[in-house]
Amino acid sequence: MKLNFKNKKITGMLSILPSNEVMFEDEMHNYSFSEAKSLKLKAAMGFKSKRVVADDKTTGFDLAVAGLDYLFDNNLINKESIDAILFVSQSPEYIMPPTSNVIHGRYELDERVLCLDINQGCAGFVIGLQQAFMLLNNAGINKVLLINADVLSPKVSKFDRNSNPLIGDAAAITIIENSNDDSPIVGEIRMDGKGAMALNVPAGGARMPISEETSLYYVDAFGNKRTKNHLVMQGDNVFNFVQTKVPEQIKNIVDSSEDNIENIDYFLFHQPNRFMLQKLADKIGVARDKLPSNVVENFGNSSGVTIPVVTIFNLGQRLESETFKVCFSGFGVGLTWGTIIMNLGNLDFCKLIYK
Amino acid sequence: MEDFLEQMAEIMEVDSVNPSDELSSFEAWDSLTTLSIIALADDEYQVSLTNAEIADAKTIDGLKELILKKQDA
Repeated sequence: MKLNFKNKKITGMLSILPSNEVMFEDEMHNYSFSEAKSLKLKAAMGFKSKRVVADDKTTGFDLAVAGLDYLFDNNLINKESIDAILFVSQSPEYIMPPTSNVIHGRYELDERVLCLDINQGCAGFVIGLQQAFMLLNNAGINKVLLINADVLSPKVSKFDRNSNPLIGDAAAITIIENSNDDSPIVGEIRMDGKGAMALNVPAGGARMPISEETSLYYVDAFGNKRTKNHLVMQGDNVFNFVQTKVPEQIKNIVDSSEDNIENIDYFLFHQPNRFMLQKLADKIGVARDKLPSNVVENFGNSSGVTIPVVTIFNLGQRLESETFKVCFSGFGVGLTWGTIIMNLGNLDFCKLIYK
Repeated sequence: MEDFLEQMAEIMEVDSVNPSDELSSFEAWDSLTTLSIIALADDEYQVSLTNAEIADAKTIDGLKELILKKQDA
């Protein structure tokens, strides 16, 4: 679907990262690769360190709550002003109830506050923004809290060099409000369900409950070891999908809004790995410094949280006083690819904290 | 595709390759070289290849034929 909004604004962004840091070298002996090959993989993909939860007792909810506590304690938001909470994640607390309702209860929010969980991954920030904009079109809704939280590291096999070197955990809170600024917000979200299984966790849902059998390790054609409880990715199909669909989508949005790609200051994209992002920058025809690709090497790929992380890590404080025209783009599981071009700046806060 | 043999030699980390060479016979052959071939096909020849297609192509020449066939399709 095409997106066209105005009089909406992002007013604050906060990212919460685990304080636990893991280096590529700490884990490379788990992969079915010689040390030399592992180091080649590291150089090609841009792996270095990543932030993951220290144990499986810390969840996406915990990271989100650390962020909400920070915002309330520092008076950066006021509980009474919140009209809706969107919780976008692929690692919810429970199958039921929704995690957004658990957050509602924890902070004793008013009954009028709408709670909604959305199951989305790499495009989760773009989907969340689009849902927030739509909610804000309702009279009486003036402030939406978009929470992206993904703790997927426990779902990735330590013996899978396809996914384990790049996976990171994180949460982010973005505040979206109505505004007098009528500069256009344009974009598009597209889906291709034929590729739904290109990124998947086979077991754990209703179709294949976790059992002893799903917990057995198997070895794939490339020597990666994982169980059916783990995330599995068809890297080749994902690569081809991203390199084809994302540049096409950005060109279409820019062309149909009679804009020019040179007018966009920053391309703040989902962060799968540096290799794919540099290829994307070349294909879209933008300088690589306008499309930062430094999240995986510093923090890891935290699925739907990478766009807030790349934004805050690279532009942070500048966004508290300056305004840029940015292009957000998220792409992955679903398959889903979504892009939003809008002004971003003069934020009340734009910070990264550790828990 | 006049640079194809040179490009493949670079990916396989050897001085030169022959059209009849088997892909799996190179010491550098692994999932990373497969990804490099997918990226090369996308960058230079505007075609999408999958891991399975590359494995089925078997030789350097088979890979070249595969890319040419996809370009014509």
